[in-house]
Amino acid sequence: MSDIGIKLIYWDRVLEAGFWILLTLFFYYLALRIQQALGGTPLANPVLLASAPIIALLVAADIWVGDYMGGGQALIWLLGPATVGLAVPLYRNFACVRSALVPMAVSLAVGSAVAVLSAVLIGDAMGASLETVRSLAPKSVTTPIAMGIAEEIGGYASLTAAFVIITGIIGAAFGSMFFNLCRIGDARARGFAMGIAAHGIGTARAFQEDEVSGTFSGAAMALNGIVTALVLPLLWLAFAG
Amino acid sequence: MRAFSRLALAFLALVACDTAGRVIVRGLSLPVPGTVIGILILLAAIVALRRVPEPLKETAEFLLAHLNFFYIPAGVGVMAYAALLADDLWPILVALFASTFLAMLAAGLAFQWTSRLTQGKDGGA
Repeated sequence: MSDIGIKLIYWDRVLEAGFWILLTLFFYYLALRIQQALGGTPLANPVLLASAPIIALLVAADIWVGDYMGGGQALIWLLGPATVGLAVPLYRNFACVRSALVPMAVSLAVGSAVAVLSAVLIGDAMGASLETVRSLAPKSVTTPIAMGIAEEIGGYASLTAAFVIITGIIGAAFGSMFFNLCRIGDARARGFAMGIAAHGIGTARAFQEDEVSGTFSGAAMALNGIVTALVLPLLWLAFAG
Repeated sequence: MRAFSRLALAFLALVACDTAGRVIVRGLSLPVPGTVIGILILLAAIVALRRVPEPLKETAEFLLAHLNFFYIPAGVGVMAYAALLADDLWPILVALFASTFLAMLAAGLAFQWTSRLTQGKDGGA
């Protein structure tokens, strides 16, 4: 109970968090090298390639995921400042964004509705439980908003967090291929659709494609988050409540 | 050393905008994440400056290029819900895959068609 004892516990935690951050950095570096070796294919999604071996390691060593989050939480916090950086490409492509306000508004309305409705209808038709369906509804929105919406409409916030990440990885991994297949070639449309369907992980991928795509993806992610947070709980109460 | 301190300053500016955004959102209990307000604050600052300071440009571009890194802990976190996911595994997987593709298709086509209608060209920027 001495001062020294308290200090030891403190440094212990810092060291442990630092260890998990370094480990994450190592696997991220490895994931980037693998993606590079495979010709930069989006199928080799860095989030998936890096988190899978970390999960395997935690399971193999019987370590609670909460211990890892001691370091992981610091990285999740840094996501905020990193995302704020979107203001820079937004400013640089301001003219391009401003000239596309009408397509953006229409795409936002259609895309956010389809993202919610299709998830709910398919999940329900396949026989998922009511809680699962409710947790599926906000899956295309960035994590903090999605968790808030899930709670409001009676889903599990934590389950939604998992859905959001899986959705992001699906969009980022298959989006480019899918857009080519559907003859969606406009870089602005590709980016905007990616941001609506697959939020930040999709946006990370869009920036790998080109800056215009990334900018529109970032804008779509922010707009879809706001619109879904405002509209979804109201509609849910009106129709399902 | 001077270059490094300017990059550190740019990073602190990003943290400050994000924090200010979070504080504003909490204070006014707005239904948007603080980071979105943070983006608007930084955008307003850049517009007022009429240019992007070089260290800020470098820092922001570096962080955006490695945005995936900050999502890895969330990816690891999925493991904590493995048991819950297993309950409804197939409906969940089908719904997530199909819905992600449908949303991309709807949003992409809506954008492209409206763009052609309103601008009379492919865009293709």
